[in-house]
Amino acid sequence: MFAAAYEELRRMATSVKRSDPASTLTPTTLVHAAWVKLVASHTFAANSELHFKRVAARAMRQLLVEAARRRKAEKRGGPQAALVTFDEALDAPIEHEEEVIALHDALNELERLNPRQALMVEVRFFGGLPVAEAARLLGISEETVHRDWRAAKAWLAHEVRRAR
Amino acid sequence: MDAQRWNRIQELFHEALALPESSRAAFLETACGADTGLREDVLAMLAEDGRPSVLARDAVEVAGELLPDAPPIATIGPYRLLSAIGRGGMGVVYLAERDDLGSRAAIKVLPNAWISAVRRERFALEQRALSRLVHPSIARLYDAGILEDGTPWFAMEWVDGEPVTAYCARRQPTVKSRLGLFRSICEAVQYAHQQAILHRDLKPSNIFVKADGSVRLLDFGIAKRLDLDDDTPDLTRTGVAVMTPAYAAPELIRGEPATVQADVYSLGVILYELLAQAPFVASTRRTADAAALMEPREARPPSGSPTRIEGPGRAAWADLDVLCLTAMHEDLGRRYRSVEALSRDVDRFLRDEPLEARPDEFRYKLRKFTARNRAPLLAAAAVAAALTALIAFFTFRLAVARDAAVAEAARAQRIQQFMLHLFEGGDKEAGPADKLEVLTLVDRSARDARLLAADPAAQADLFQTLGEIYHSLGKYPQASEMLDAALEKRRGLPNKAPALVAESVQAVGLLRLDQGKLDEAESLVRQALALAGSTLPKGHPGIDAATAALGRVLTDRGQYKQAIEVLEEAARLQAARAAPEQDTATVLIRLADAHFYEGDYDRAEALSTQVYDMYRRMYGEDHPRVADPVINLGTIASQRGQYALSEKWFRKAAEINRDYYGPDHPETASSLRGLGQALASQKRFDEAEPVLRQVLAVRERVYGPVHSGVANAVNSLAHVAQGKGDLVLAEQLFQRAADIYRKANGDEHHFVGVALANLAGVYLDKKDYARAERTLRGVVVRFQRVLPEDHFDLAVARVKLGRALLGLGRREEAARESSLALAALAKTAPESSWVRSAREDLVAARR
Repeated sequence: MFAAAYEELRRMATSVKRSDPASTLTPTTLVHAAWVKLVASHTFAANSELHFKRVAARAMRQLLVEAARRRKAEKRGGPQAALVTFDEALDAPIEHEEEVIALHDALNELERLNPRQALMVEVRFFGGLPVAEAARLLGISEETVHRDWRAAKAWLAHEVRRAR
Repeated sequence: MDAQRWNRIQELFHEALALPESSRAAFLETACGADTGLREDVLAMLAEDGRPSVLARDAVEVAGELLPDAPPIATIGPYRLLSAIGRGGMGVVYLAERDDLGSRAAIKVLPNAWISAVRRERFALEQRALSRLVHPSIARLYDAGILEDGTPWFAMEWVDGEPVTAYCARRQPTVKSRLGLFRSICEAVQYAHQQAILHRDLKPSNIFVKADGSVRLLDFGIAKRLDLDDDTPDLTRTGVAVMTPAYAAPELIRGEPATVQADVYSLGVILYELLAQAPFVASTRRTADAAALMEPREARPPSGSPTRIEGPGRAAWADLDVLCLTAMHEDLGRRYRSVEALSRDVDRFLRDEPLEARPDEFRYKLRKFTARNRAPLLAAAAVAAALTALIAFFTFRLAVARDAAVAEAARAQRIQQFMLHLFEGGDKEAGPADKLEVLTLVDRSARDARLLAADPAAQADLFQTLGEIYHSLGKYPQASEMLDAALEKRRGLPNKAPALVAESVQAVGLLRLDQGKLDEAESLVRQALALAGSTLPKGHPGIDAATAALGRVLTDRGQYKQAIEVLEEAARLQAARAAPEQDTATVLIRLADAHFYEGDYDRAEALSTQVYDMYRRMYGEDHPRVADPVINLGTIASQRGQYALSEKWFRKAAEINRDYYGPDHPETASSLRGLGQALASQKRFDEAEPVLRQVLAVRERVYGPVHSGVANAVNSLAHVAQGKGDLVLAEQLFQRAADIYRKANGDEHHFVGVALANLAGVYLDKKDYARAERTLRGVVVRFQRVLPEDHFDLAVARVKLGRALLGLGRREEAARESSLALAALAKTAPESSWVRSAREDLVAARR
């Protein structure tokens, strides 16, 4: 399931463009769209959507980290060929690859300290799960999700800033 | 760090957060004691709390930035993309070239269409809006499609020009030329409104002027169809999010639904800019700044702009200020009610006439109007108000009605016209008949109208209108009551207007026609024509309308030759007065009917195709009006034996009508009957039967038992029974069809013969040749009296007669009938299956 989710998310996210003001895209819709697509292909009909979302969040994380690493490598390799794409009118993208890699590392550290909290961050940030669904998935109260999220966010943000 | 320490950090973090910011440092000092590392960790977290970080962003957005771009697109359909020329709220626009033709087009693409159904729907909406808009001042749609990856696109006219403001800045045209340009813009917007489409994002950058000075309206990206119930909150919200606040009406910015008056407002701002040579509001990028725009804007006349154009004198500026300020009025009640009203005032200015919108006069007129017409206005408003809530389609027309009513002031006739337009687009195309709510409202209005005895002229107008509405709704008794009363009142008026009397007489006549009272119908319509011809000035539309009505009656009477003459006269009259295309199309389709019944299928087909193209151009593909010529084409195909083609046309017609009228409407029933017949002709009886039963049920309910429409349905069902081999039922049904035709259309009518010929077909199946011969001899005599010698129906009767004679062993006589039939069929329907039957019979007869 992971591989399929990964591929689907990758295919979808590849064409995501950040500056479309009319876009209604969020991790929630993306993951949901991937779910709908995968369900339609009958690969996962037997699995629960919530479980899928957990897997999808992991896939999303992996996707981002890989993309960030590749981008970093490409930058060292010199400028890319200019292509005429839908994006050509856009400003140069903000450079997030360092941040993503730092976040990934910090999240690994958090996983060591508190696996449940790390999973919560993963499904919330990468999977776009709303608080209620995250609470249901982890078997904790919404209150706890809010509380853990706030602390984790502050700590992770600090770690990311420190790494740069 | 270990788990325990992390827990401790979090505890302190939450405890500190609960304290006021000023006392947090002291708290941590105490709580952490010597563990400065702990204190620093918590302090760092507190500092991060609420600060933006990557975690506050959207993972998908981040992904979009990190992942490689989608591969570039080089060609779309027959077009080669040259460069991106714009990026709107809804997609990217490319300049493209057709390699084969060398022509240029603008192609709009919706990248990442899969992301949201709302975006896809909005994109499709713009495409549909454009496809409905065929106007010289609106960039037109060429082509549309979907790329392999699901990306939708459409190609439209590429406008080589510049925004209207830039054009004016460069060329410095006179005030009159500027208003002329503005007038063209208004015309295009008004046209869109007539197609029930609001633009909602009018601004100079969407209005281009070409080098030849002609105007093009672009970008219907957030346009809204008024006649569709598509106004989901989502769409509206996104519509608001992408509009351009500087040109948007205040009520739109507040999130209220768009009306025609919102476009009027934007036009006002554009006019301001054209006159002041400066934007009304300094441009703001997106709704982020819209809050500032929501503040009531100070009414600033263009004459006050330091950069205002040169030329107009003081009096002219006073009028121009009124034009702008009325168009841009915050109060909808004081703003121009429609683009038409605005255009009219622009025209008045250009002709140096006083404006309608001069505030004092405006209020004065309005007051006088309402005082004089309180009752009809109330009646209109009663229908109006509730309909607004009921049927989205009508709301727009109503807005126009109210707009026109106020602006035109004091002309009850206008109200009446627009009331009628609520239900139709110019003739009998009623709105959904089964909307009981509508009927209730009309009933209520009729009651109000009866109380209006003090003003007989207005009362008569209202009776007339309501009568026509009842007629279009298929409520013949009520229609009759109203129309008869209107006629009586109008005849009794002291200064009776012959045009109105003629109108009433004609309306009663056409009602009688639909009621199946043909003699009375003909006499009334002839009366109306005589009256119109003798009293109306030459070139008056009333004359050709009465002529066309007579043509219709004659067609229904089966007097096709005369009908064709009369209808051709109506077409000539219309051409002479350069009548609007709608009127022409109506006459042409009647002419097609008459030619069809006369048996001239080529002519009927040519006329129907012509009308089909006209209607599609005028109304778009899905308009119920388009179904009329489609039904004709289906019928013609069927008569020629091209049943698969016929099925295709009737399916299209049924779809259009069902979508518009619903399944239980006579219009839907008509197209379903054709479909049923096409299916039956292909021997798909089991598919045909339920379709035809539905047709019969609807028609019996609407028309009552004695009506030629009911007979048609019975006749079709009889064919199905015959095809299935149920000869007893078939005989019974054909007999019934013949009886109904006889009662409804008179014994002489050609349809009676058709039903009898069909009945004879059952006798043939039963090998009762003697009875078949008797019946068919009678039919041939009937047909020879009323139809041309080579008519299809006569030929079919002869084929059948030949077969009966063959069965009786009278070969010579049989051969004669078969060869006569063959000769006629070769002219009218060479592909018909009857040709083969006749040939076989001929061979058998000569063997």
